[in-house]
Amino acid sequence: MDFRFNEEQLELGRAARRFLEVESSSERVRAAMESERGFDPAVYKRIAEELGWLAVTIPEEYEGLGLGAVDLMPILEEMGRFLYCGPFFSTICLGVNALLLGGDDAQKGELLPYVARGETTLTLAHAEARAKWDSAEIECEYEKRGDDYVLSGEKRYVLDGLTADRVVVAARAKGSKGAEGISLFLVSGEADGLSKSHLPTVDMTRREAALTFREVHVARDALVGEEGAGHALLERILDRARAALAVEQVGGAERCLDMAVAYSLERKQFGRVIGSFQAIKHMAADMLWRVENARSIAYAANVAVDAGDDAEIAEMASAAKATASTAFFQNAADNIQIHGGVGFTWEFDPHLYFKRAKASEEHFGSPAMHRERVARAMGL
Amino acid sequence: MKILVPIKRVADPDNANKVKISGDGTEVTSEGLEWKMNPFDEWSLEAALRLTEDGKTKSRVGEVVVVSIGPKDAVATIRQGLAMGAERGILVEGEDKKLDALVVAKILQKIVEKENPDLVVLGKQTVDGDSNLVGTYLAEFLGWPVANYATSIRTSDDGKTLTIVRELDTGAATLEVKGPAVITTSDRILHPHAVKNGVTPDDFAYPESEGGRYASLKGIMAAKKKPVEETSAAALGVDAAPQVSYVSFKLPPARSGSTTFVESAAELVQKLRNEAKVL
Repeated sequence: MDFRFNEEQLELGRAARRFLEVESSSERVRAAMESERGFDPAVYKRIAEELGWLAVTIPEEYEGLGLGAVDLMPILEEMGRFLYCGPFFSTICLGVNALLLGGDDAQKGELLPYVARGETTLTLAHAEARAKWDSAEIECEYEKRGDDYVLSGEKRYVLDGLTADRVVVAARAKGSKGAEGISLFLVSGEADGLSKSHLPTVDMTRREAALTFREVHVARDALVGEEGAGHALLERILDRARAALAVEQVGGAERCLDMAVAYSLERKQFGRVIGSFQAIKHMAADMLWRVENARSIAYAANVAVDAGDDAEIAEMASAAKATASTAFFQNAADNIQIHGGVGFTWEFDPHLYFKRAKASEEHFGSPAMHRERVARAMGL
Repeated sequence: MKILVPIKRVADPDNANKVKISGDGTEVTSEGLEWKMNPFDEWSLEAALRLTEDGKTKSRVGEVVVVSIGPKDAVATIRQGLAMGAERGILVEGEDKKLDALVVAKILQKIVEKENPDLVVLGKQTVDGDSNLVGTYLAEFLGWPVANYATSIRTSDDGKTLTIVRELDTGAATLEVKGPAVITTSDRILHPHAVKNGVTPDDFAYPESEGGRYASLKGIMAAKKKPVEETSAAALGVDAAPQVSYVSFKLPPARSGSTTFVESAAELVQKLRNEAKVL
């Protein structure tokens, strides 16, 4: 595959870096971590209004730019590099993808223009208490009562679930099993019977929530996609999210390398900078190839997303997610090693990347699950 | 109003530790450097964009032409300017080492004579050469007035008369300038109320910022369709050789990083005089 960004995509990446190195600096990330919402709404507003990033993948008829997954990559990579805290990923890579793949015209018309303007945030509620990303294991249930659907159950690890205006919820028809009977519903974040709580995780840079549905009534028009056909739809949504998250992880992994190299050229031991020692050079070289390896496959997965073949997307997304997760986590760990004692102090940033890497590694399935999925796709 | 804004790509000042000197010590090598628009030029471009728009509605009411002199890949800097909102670009191909302030000013003079802008707004200096000469040279060659280190610009008649506040060591001077004119800007030009053009409502405040505006995605897409004219010093009829030649470069000595604590002001004075020899 011969892939290269075009001039506009390169400029988008440069603009994203210029913006995020200021607006998502270490100080800003730490302030967001301490804030009630977990992000700065003023920065999110600027991302929408001043930069137009929320419009990238939204079709032109819904006030977007109608671009693809590859066009989103320069933004995601920089967001990963600077640990951007905000509901961009959950809104665009989960919510918008759910609507684009399964939503009807009314749902898209009602929400997407507002998403593009930064006025509405979205997310997806999929995993549950057992932290499984296998859609066949969903236990949250729905039943039909009159014209309504009634949802009951608990969702966990919902990215930005506390602040999302609308949540796409995966539930199964009462009594159904496995991949059968799964449907997706668009639920208001303020729906009666929905209670939300912050779910603290190791990663303070991305908020997660537990959502409990106690007889939450939604109308028929809340159904996203066909009733009972949600399993395949969920996999399509998740695969696109995996490909997107892999790019974000590449940005984080590269930042770990940059931090480690910069520190190794500054810190002296035995009268020399530690970067001159072979042991450090080898670690840095390993970090570099991990980044390059993960970048190649993450980019390829998003090229596959734009090409649109679901089987190819599934295989590439899993390969990318497994590779980028491992690269980010190992680079984050090596970055701490190269920093030595200060590497795990609160004041230095390596621990923030380590924690983001650990949490991202588990989102939408662990590397082991994805390697298994690739093996199956290859007929092994 | 039509404004010409010269912009230069410079090695990213935030990565100054990557600057290296060639083996023979005669030049600074560009290998491995990341390029950025000279920050002073970026602020000037921001001022020019504010002068030619209705800040409240974001509609354009004038034209900004960005011009860069340098190798072919300097076009990326021009595209950045176009993505920020400038209408057109001009690339004058040239080798960095064959350019100095005089040559640059002569090339810009030819561009100005061709484009007939109402104003030339440029950074007071570049962060690499720091010579702080081009604006003044250019004004001299054109026979135009120059206002250096502008911290605010006010006009309500499309640039024909400008009220400019200049930054001085001793305070600030307010000038009234008849256009066409050359203006160089200071970083205070980014103040939310520093630029008034008679179109943007007087009470409108631009957001607090440490640099020029960020290129929006729509701006980046639009920049693709904006014209960039390519030319050369020879095509413009400029045959000037640099007047400045660099004999040798060397990196500043590494700092020892040691800190000496003193007990009293008297001891400090003694050390500054006898050890540091700065008094």
